Amino acid sequence: MYNLFFQKYNEKVPLSDEEQEQIKKYLTPKKLRKKQYLLQEGDVCKVIAFVENGALREYAVENGKEHIIQFALEGWTISDLFSFFTGEPATYHIDALEDTELVLITKDAHEELLKTQPKYETYMRLLITNAYIALQRRLTSNISLPIEERYINFTEKYPDIVQRVPQHMIASYMGLTPETLSRIRKKLANRK
Amino acid sequence: MRKSKATILSANLEAIDCSVEASWEADIIIVAVPFEAEKDVARKIQEVANQKIVISISNPLNSTYDGLVTAPDTSAAEELQKLLPNAKVVKAFNTTFAADFSSPLIDGKQVDAFIAGNDESALQTAAELVSTVGFNPLVAGDLTVSRTLENMQLLLIQLNMKYNYNWLAGWKILH
Ligand SMILES: NC(=O)c1ccc[n+]([C@@H]2O[C@H](COP(=O)([O-])OP(=O)(O)OC[C@H]3O[C@@H](n4cnc5c(N)ncnc54)[C@H](OP(=O)(O)O)[C@@H]3O)[C@@H](O)[C@H]2O)c1
Repeated sequence: MYNLFFQKYNEKVPLSDEEQEQIKKYLTPKKLRKKQYLLQEGDVCKVIAFVENGALREYAVENGKEHIIQFALEGWTISDLFSFFTGEPATYHIDALEDTELVLITKDAHEELLKTQPKYETYMRLLITNAYIALQRRLTSNISLPIEERYINFTEKYPDIVQRVPQHMIASYMGLTPETLSRIRKKLANRK
Repeated sequence: MRKSKATILSANLEAIDCSVEASWEADIIIVAVPFEAEKDVARKIQEVANQKIVISISNPLNSTYDGLVTAPDTSAAEELQKLLPNAKVVKAFNTTFAADFSSPLIDGKQVDAFIAGNDESALQTAAELVSTVGFNPLVAGDLTVSRTLENMQLLLIQLNMKYNYNWLAGWKILH
């Protein structure tokens, strides 16, 4: 139930068994079925979710159109951090692309762990730093790289997502129409 | 709960009690089983109930309905909290009869539903749930107040049997 969570945690910040047990008390195990929401736009995001198993996406809806901003597979973390930290309504939806098992850290648990577990603070700092770096990378690549290169980078970096997520969602993530993505894929296939 | 254990469809499928599966998916768990069965259910769901709101609905009545089986210095809710130490146990819905759920208005008045618990945000969520179901939520106090709430239902059951309310009766604080 928490295997991968603690495996990843220990890779960042090694924990003793005792510390692990203390942290475990504050975690919420949660199962989502495919298409179930973890978060809906307008609600306050009260959790940071770690994916033990399964896949989710985070997206905004504008004029009825979905814009995917993040995917999360096993070992990743997903949340609307803006809403989580400010208590303002979320601007994104998060739902499950497959049946999914999560480990949730609620806002209350987060506050309590920050107070009582110094190694949790370190873990969170690393987590948020990495989230920031990933966000900046994505922004830079969106601004500066030609679309084909962006797609190649994406497939090289995230082969699992390409395998498990429908093409139209990858198109949405890249800010393309499915038709444009399909043309790029064909072009790249011909090049090989 | 017991009847719907996952059917074993193939050798790869693990037989898992549906109370565990349902509690794993749930944000709020309502343990709607007799008091005597709570130990058994709590043991099964303990891991997946971690940090979740668990509603204690039970009234620990004796077999003759003239007393409670719990000691005076505890309650079914507090016993459930001991069994699920990392869950947020809230007492709710124990002072309402099953029939009240389809008729939360009795004699033109909305039935009160008392809530008790130690976690502020869990109490608030439980109050929203009570209100959605149609009752008037009243936070009565911390989890030890469950002792009073469980005795209130004992009295209501006795009054129901004496005056034949036909199991459609409830509490209302007039003020
Ligand atoms: N009825 C009311 O008006 C009322 C009002 C307020 C509070 N309550 C409280 O609500 C709870 C449920 O009341 P009820 O009238 O619905 O009782 P019930 O009909 O006697 O029991 C409800 C369910 O509990 C299940 N159960 C029994 N032992 C179990 C075990 N060891 N493991 C898993 N499940 C088990 C039964 O499943 P099976 O069918 O598989 O045996 C049954 O479906 C009680 O604690 C009661 O005090 C009831």
